[in-house]
Amino acid sequence: MPSNTIVERVVADLQKYPPFDDLAPDVLQDLAESISLTYHEEGEVIFSKGDSLKDHAFMVMKGAVRLFDSIEGKEVLVDLCDEGDIFGVRAIFAHHDYVLTAQVAEESLLFELPVDKIKHLLETNPGASLFFAGAFAKSVEEIEHTLTEAFDVSQRLYREESCNNFLQNETLEVTPVANVVTCPPDISIREAAKIMSDRNIGSIIIVSPEKHPLGIITDTDLTKKVVSRPGSIKEEPVSSIMSSPVYTISGGKTIADMVMLMVKTKLRHFCITEDGSPDSPITGIISEHDIITSEGNNPAVIMKAIMQASNRDQLKEQRDKTENLLRIYIEQEVAVHFISNIVTEINDAIITRAIDFSLEELEEEEGRKRPEIEFCWLSLGSEGRKEQLLRTDQDNAILYADPPSEEAESIHEYFLALGRKVTGILQHCGFVKCPADIMASNPVWCQPISVWKGYFSKWIVTPEPKAVMHSTIFFDFRPVYGQAKLAAELKQEIFGLIAKNRGFLGFFAKNALQNPPPLGFFRNFLVEKSRDHANEFDIKARAMMPLSDAARVLAYELRIPEFFSTVERFKRLQVLVPGMKDLGTEAAAGYEFLIRLRAVNGLVNKSSGRYIKPETLNKIERQTLRNVFSTIEKVQKTLNLRFQLDYIRD
Amino acid sequence: MINLLAKKNAIRRCKQGKLPADICGYVNTFAGATDIDRPLGEVRYIVFDTETTGFDTAKDSVISIGAIALNGTRIKVEESFEVLIRRDSVGDSNAVTTHGLLLRDLHEGRDEKEAVKSFLDYLGNSVLVAQHADFDVTMINRMLNKQYGFELFNDVIDTASLAKRLEKGPYYNLAHKSGEYRLDVLLERYNIRLYDRHTAAGDAFLTAQLFQMLLFKAGYAGIKTLRELLLK
Repeated sequence: MPSNTIVERVVADLQKYPPFDDLAPDVLQDLAESISLTYHEEGEVIFSKGDSLKDHAFMVMKGAVRLFDSIEGKEVLVDLCDEGDIFGVRAIFAHHDYVLTAQVAEESLLFELPVDKIKHLLETNPGASLFFAGAFAKSVEEIEHTLTEAFDVSQRLYREESCNNFLQNETLEVTPVANVVTCPPDISIREAAKIMSDRNIGSIIIVSPEKHPLGIITDTDLTKKVVSRPGSIKEEPVSSIMSSPVYTISGGKTIADMVMLMVKTKLRHFCITEDGSPDSPITGIISEHDIITSEGNNPAVIMKAIMQASNRDQLKEQRDKTENLLRIYIEQEVAVHFISNIVTEINDAIITRAIDFSLEELEEEEGRKRPEIEFCWLSLGSEGRKEQLLRTDQDNAILYADPPSEEAESIHEYFLALGRKVTGILQHCGFVKCPADIMASNPVWCQPISVWKGYFSKWIVTPEPKAVMHSTIFFDFRPVYGQAKLAAELKQEIFGLIAKNRGFLGFFAKNALQNPPPLGFFRNFLVEKSRDHANEFDIKARAMMPLSDAARVLAYELRIPEFFSTVERFKRLQVLVPGMKDLGTEAAAGYEFLIRLRAVNGLVNKSSGRYIKPETLNKIERQTLRNVFSTIEKVQKTLNLRFQLDYIRD
Repeated sequence: MINLLAKKNAIRRCKQGKLPADICGYVNTFAGATDIDRPLGEVRYIVFDTETTGFDTAKDSVISIGAIALNGTRIKVEESFEVLIRRDSVGDSNAVTTHGLLLRDLHEGRDEKEAVKSFLDYLGNSVLVAQHADFDVTMINRMLNKQYGFELFNDVIDTASLAKRLEKGPYYNLAHKSGEYRLDVLLERYNIRLYDRHTAAGDAFLTAQLFQMLLFKAGYAGIKTLRELLLK
C-alpha cells in the first residue's frame, strides 16, 4: 500500500493542470500511484528522434523541455513545454518511433505517466479521452504532440465561460420606461409642470401629433429656465424652453452601449423611437438614472464630475476613481475594447479640462489672451493609440496654425506656457512626465504646422534607423483638443511624403521587426537581464511593440486616415489586405489580451504593468501568451514579405 | 565490523530457527553477496523519515514512519510506505504541534512489532537515506532491539552530510553551521517546492526529491559507484 500522504501530494500536483483538473478522485489517485518522478539537468536528452517509444508520456512539473525536429542537420523548434505541459504523447497512440527530440532546456522535474494507465483513463473518461486524442489526431503523422492544441480547446471553453459571465453583466439590455409621458408643443409651461408633479416624474417629452419626439423638459429646465426668472413665463408654450432636438436611439441597447453613449454625448436622457430616428413615434425613454441603477459603477458619473470639476484636485480624484472602475472592469472580464474606450474618453476629458483651466489661468492670472490662431493638442504614443489604461508617461505635443511672422515668437511663447501648465496639471493627476521630454512643454514639440511638416519630412526623406525608432511615437498622434483638422492636414502631408519616398516604409517596417518574436514563453530566453528587472518579462517591448509597430507601418502604407488604436488598425487591415483576413482578427484579439494582461499586472503591482514575473501567470495566461507569440511571428513574416526586408541591409 | 558480525549472527539464527520466521525475510536479503561497486543508477534507495514523541533517543519513541523508494534516480510513488504506531502517549505538547498527530490517531495505529516488521519487509537490503539519518536510524534500532534483538543492517546515507560533502568537500565541519543543512534550508537552496512539512511521509517525499538532485551532483563530482557514495 503506497503512502496516502504522498499519493495525495501527487494528486494535488496533477490536479493543477488539464485534463487532470477534471477527473474523479479515485481515478486520479490510481493514476498518481503509478507515477514516477525524474530529475533532469539542462541539456539532457529525454528521447531522440528515431528512438523507439517509451512506456510512458511526460508531464513537466518544474523547469522546461524543448521539442525539436532536425531537418537537414538544422534544428527546428516545435514547442517548448513548461509547468503543466504534457509531451511524448506519441507513446500512447502511435506504434513507431519518436519523430522529435525532447531536450531539457532548464533543470526539470518530470512526472512519468505510464502509457497503460493513460490508455485505461481514455477508455473510462470521455473528457480526458478528448483531451489526449484531440491533441494527437490532428497531425499524428507529422509531429510529436505537446497537447498545446488540445489545450486550446479547453481554453476556448474557458473563454466562452468567462464570456458568459461577462455577457450577464455587460450586455444586459437596459429596460426603458415604456409608458412615456408626453405632451404637445403648444401647452403652457404651467400645464406641463402640473403634469410632471401630478405624475411625479422628472421629465416630459414634447411630441408632434404623430408622436415623433420634438424635445424634452426636465426638472432642471423648470428650475433654471422658469422658476428663477421673473415675469409670467409660465404661460408660454413648452416649446419655448424645451431642449431640442432629443437624442433618439433604437431599442435593445445594452448597458455597455448606453454607458458609452452617455460618456460620449454627455446627455442624460435618450428617447427610443420605432426606427431609432427622430422621425418616428416614440416608444420609450432611458434616463441617466436608469443606466446608473443598472450598473453600480458608472463611468458617466466620473465623466460628469470631470466636466464639472473646478480645480485640478478634483480631476485627480476622478482619475483615481477611474482606476477603481478599471479594477472592477478587469475583474469582471469586461471586453478590453470597451474598457479602453471608456478610459480614453475619461483621459481625454481630463486633458480637455486641464487645457480649459490653463487657458483661464493664463488669461485671468497672467493677463495673457489666447491668440486668434487655431491650435490642436496632440496625444502621442500609447495615449494617441487610445491604449493607456493605466497612467503611464505623458507623451503630448501642441500643433498650431502657422502664425504671421511678426507674431511667431509671442505665439510660440504663449503655447509653450500653455503646454507647461497643462503638463503640470496632468502630472498632478498622476501622469508622470515623459523621461525623454516628449511633451507640449518642450519648445521643440510645441510648434506650428509648417515646422511639424518639416519634422516628418526629415524623418521620412532621410530615414536613419535610430531616428525612425525614436520617431514612431509621433506617428501615433491623435487630436484631443482644439482643431482636429490641423491633425488631419498633418496626416495627409505624411501620406504624401511617404508616397514620394517609398524607401521609408522599408525602414519603418524594419524597425517594426527589431523585436523578434519570442520562441515560446520560456523564462531563460525571455526574461530581462538588466539589474532592475532581472527575471521579469517585458510585455511592452517583447509582445506589444512588435504588434503595434507592425500595425502602424501598415496603417501608413495603406493611408488609413483615422486616428486608430492598434486593435482598430488590425481590424481595418483585415478588410484592406486580402491576405490578412484571419491574421488581422488574430492579432487584434492577441493585442487585447496583452493590454488586459498588462493592466492586471499593473493594478496588482501598482506599476505601469510593463514587467511581469512569469511565475505569477497562470497556465491559461501562459498558453495564451504563447499563442500570441506565434501570431506575432506570422505578422512579422507578412511584413517581411510585403517589404522584402531581407534585401535591406543595415 | 560489528555490523558485519551481527548480520552473520542474525542470518545464522534465522537458519537455526532462533529468530521469528516473519523477520527472517528481511534478514535473508543480506545473505547473498551484494555488489558494492554497482553504479549509482542501479541501486535501490529507500528515503525515509520518522516522527517521534520527542528528541531524546533514550526515552522518546517513534509514532510514524514514512518512506519512498528510488530505483536508481527514479522516484516511484507506488513504492512508498507509511505506518502509524500505536502509542499510549503522543509526547509533550510541543511535539504534538510539530507532527500534528493526536492520541486518537495513534490509537488507530498498528502495534510496534507489526509496524517495524512491515517496514523491514518493505526495506529489504535497500540503501537507507534520511535527513540527519543518525537520529532516525537510532530510533528504529531501539524498536528493533526491543522487539527482535538486532539492529538495521542496511547501508545508510545522510542527505545533510552528502549535501555538505558535495558543496564544501568532505572535510568541512558541519557542526559550526548546522543551520545551513537543515531540511527546509536545503529544500529552499535546491529549489524544491515546500508543502505540508512535518508528516513523516511528506518529509520523506521531499527528502527523496532532494536526494535525487544530490545523486546528479554526485555524478558530476566523480562519484560513480555505491562504494564511493558510502565512502567505504
